[in-house]
Amino acid sequence: MWFDEVESIAELFRGYLPYYLVIALPIFIIISPANPVAASHEFPVYRMQQFDLHGVQYGCRSAPINMEAKALSTWTSSRHCVISKIQDLSIERFKEISEKAGALVVVLPSDLTALSIEDRQNILELEDLMMEREVSIPVYFTHWNPSIDDVLTDLSTTIPTTPQPARGSALETLMHSVSANGYQIVVNTHQSHTRTDVSVANIQGKLGGHGMEDKLPTVAIVAHYDSFGVAPDLAFGADSNGSGVAVLIELARIFSQLYSSQRTHAKFNLMFLLSGAGKLNYQGTKKWLEDHIDSIDGSPLQNAHFVICLDALSSGKDIYVHYSKPPKEGTATSNFFQELTQAAKELNPEVKVELMHKKINLADKRMFWEHERLSMKRMAGFTVSALKSHQDYSRATILDNTIDTESIAQKASILSEALARYIYNLSAEDVFTENLKVDETAIEGVMDFLVAQPRAAQVLATKQNSLVTSLQGVLSRYLKDVKVSHLVPDKRDPDFSFYDVTKATVNVYSVKPAVFDLFLTFAIVAYLGLSYLCIQNFSLFYGLVARVSVPAKSKVQ
Amino acid sequence: MTFYHFVNCVALVYVPYHFTYKLSGLSEYGAFWKCFQAAQHYVFTQLVKMIVVATFFPESELEVKGDGNDAFSEWLKASVDLADLAGLYLVLAKIPGKGHNKILTAAVGWGGAEMILSHVYSLWFGARGAEFDWKYIQGCLDSNISLVQHISTAALVWLWSRHDLKKTLMPIVYFLLLAAIFKPVLFNTLLVSMGYGPWLRLALKAVTTGALGLVTLYIYSGLAKAIGVY
Repeated sequence: MWFDEVESIAELFRGYLPYYLVIALPIFIIISPANPVAASHEFPVYRMQQFDLHGVQYGCRSAPINMEAKALSTWTSSRHCVISKIQDLSIERFKEISEKAGALVVVLPSDLTALSIEDRQNILELEDLMMEREVSIPVYFTHWNPSIDDVLTDLSTTIPTTPQPARGSALETLMHSVSANGYQIVVNTHQSHTRTDVSVANIQGKLGGHGMEDKLPTVAIVAHYDSFGVAPDLAFGADSNGSGVAVLIELARIFSQLYSSQRTHAKFNLMFLLSGAGKLNYQGTKKWLEDHIDSIDGSPLQNAHFVICLDALSSGKDIYVHYSKPPKEGTATSNFFQELTQAAKELNPEVKVELMHKKINLADKRMFWEHERLSMKRMAGFTVSALKSHQDYSRATILDNTIDTESIAQKASILSEALARYIYNLSAEDVFTENLKVDETAIEGVMDFLVAQPRAAQVLATKQNSLVTSLQGVLSRYLKDVKVSHLVPDKRDPDFSFYDVTKATVNVYSVKPAVFDLFLTFAIVAYLGLSYLCIQNFSLFYGLVARVSVPAKSKVQ
Repeated sequence: MTFYHFVNCVALVYVPYHFTYKLSGLSEYGAFWKCFQAAQHYVFTQLVKMIVVATFFPESELEVKGDGNDAFSEWLKASVDLADLAGLYLVLAKIPGKGHNKILTAAVGWGGAEMILSHVYSLWFGARGAEFDWKYIQGCLDSNISLVQHISTAALVWLWSRHDLKKTLMPIVYFLLLAAIFKPVLFNTLLVSMGYGPWLRLALKAVTTGALGLVTLYIYSGLAKAIGVY
């Protein structure tokens, strides 16, 4: 029969195959690394800001999390990680959590642009509060998705697992522990360290005036290109300061076209600067000024009539010009202000131009507008913005991601008109013909590009950043002498420091309470005891069956 | 859900085998090495089965379009499990002994190998993680049920190999053998489609295995009584 053949083959193999397997398999199993099984829920999270500025520490100070998750209403101790929607998180609750809980995960609504005014205001205030002080617990933000919604619902319907003695019997607690579903939040990162590879870029370019550049007056236009929000990877900064960058690029484009023709080449130098780390007290501008004013002698900046800073130009329809020192009558600055008011009146009468005076408080560590850096160096500068107050929350929020191209275009055309009138010394005429007008599609293109990625200063502060390279490319199209200069903070006494770990992945494991394990042990022991008895007394059972069965032997032929 | 849970599950899976081995008097016969050989045969049989499945059913990785096709190919694949029976036959042939010793040795060795290679493996990688899932406990209970099933199957194979079994009982033996082979597939397709939860499926599996075992025991005891073994 072929069984014999199979048997002989088995004989052949037995010498080699099974031994190998028997030895190898257990070894493989034992030495393999103890990777935990994939979590039931896994999604990206973004850590709250963390930076030092002038020695003061801001933001969230730690990164890894490995603790039990609780909802906003059920957390009790510092071994709990609170998960909550941002709409439910009030200022008092946040304060309490930051002092007593173990960690916080905030769920952002899926569409940040479609919030109610009240919600939006709450979030802005909360962001401001969060950034005001140091937070010692890890705080992460994540976008809403259906699985985290499940987790939240599960958590809020669970009664706290610490059983009060007066409530229910032990059996009830036991039953509850079996059916309850806890969650363990694990964010597996190292503790956040100071980054040593920080390099903030300033991109500058210029359009030389007609004639000897050294003898011509200069007007400079400055905008910082970074943004700020409570989580660096979520700070898209459409208005602040994407709009500023877009207007600067648009002005560069228009004036480069004017300067390219002999007839319209004005006798003014125009300098453009995209400064970095603006939201950290305008560090980029500070370095740029040091380079131009303090060191190089023949810099055209030293003959600057004034410096226009652009910041947040899309949020409202009015233009506010902020300055720190009121300009005297007849100075360049006051002349420009007149031109600006005039241009606005003619082009868009509904736009009013208001001048806002804010003195610099030297005791205050924070600089609120970019021109304050200039004023410190005794340069004439002012900031043009659509925001009225320097303390407006929308300058530093993650909710800033709506693009309003029309508003930006409007401001750009008013500014370009005013600037042109000033440098060509014209008045009461529309300077620009059709093809030199502000191009709304160009602005839209720039804005789309800027808002597509987070532009927080720490995200951009690497040596070869693609955004910086792109901005450099854009400016090179219109301006001459486009240079990128890098600012590296001092090693021993840095003005500002960034920290790593801006985003991570959170693993949410569904776990059972510890009592459950014990319960399971008891159940298993009981079951095994039962099976022991069964096996032990199997013979009795067998005897019973044997008595009943009929002889099954067949008669041999 | 941590190492403790893993230990719990391993205990649940392993201890019944241990009890069966110890308490059925096998240890008196020094049957450990025989059990080990049975385990070797199990591994070999599984490898052969895997090669056959890979050779003749290579489309199993691709998405199967029609449901009918799916069920049919599942049934075909299950028929490869007939090789299990061949393996068990070989094991029984190798083990000297009479009656229940033979069957139990074969079954414990076979089942033990399956337990270690399938369940403990998955427990090591699953139950030790932070995530908890009832499926590990269910897997352990399933393994216990398999123990009973293996004993029944071994007994059936032994009965089938006997020439002196009453002719009228042979069809029943055939039927029970086929039932043993196709039971997993049947359960998967039928009960999952009926939407029964895992615990209910487990309970049903236990009941059917018990019934199968009972009938097998009945036939076996009849023959054993007649030929004078226990």
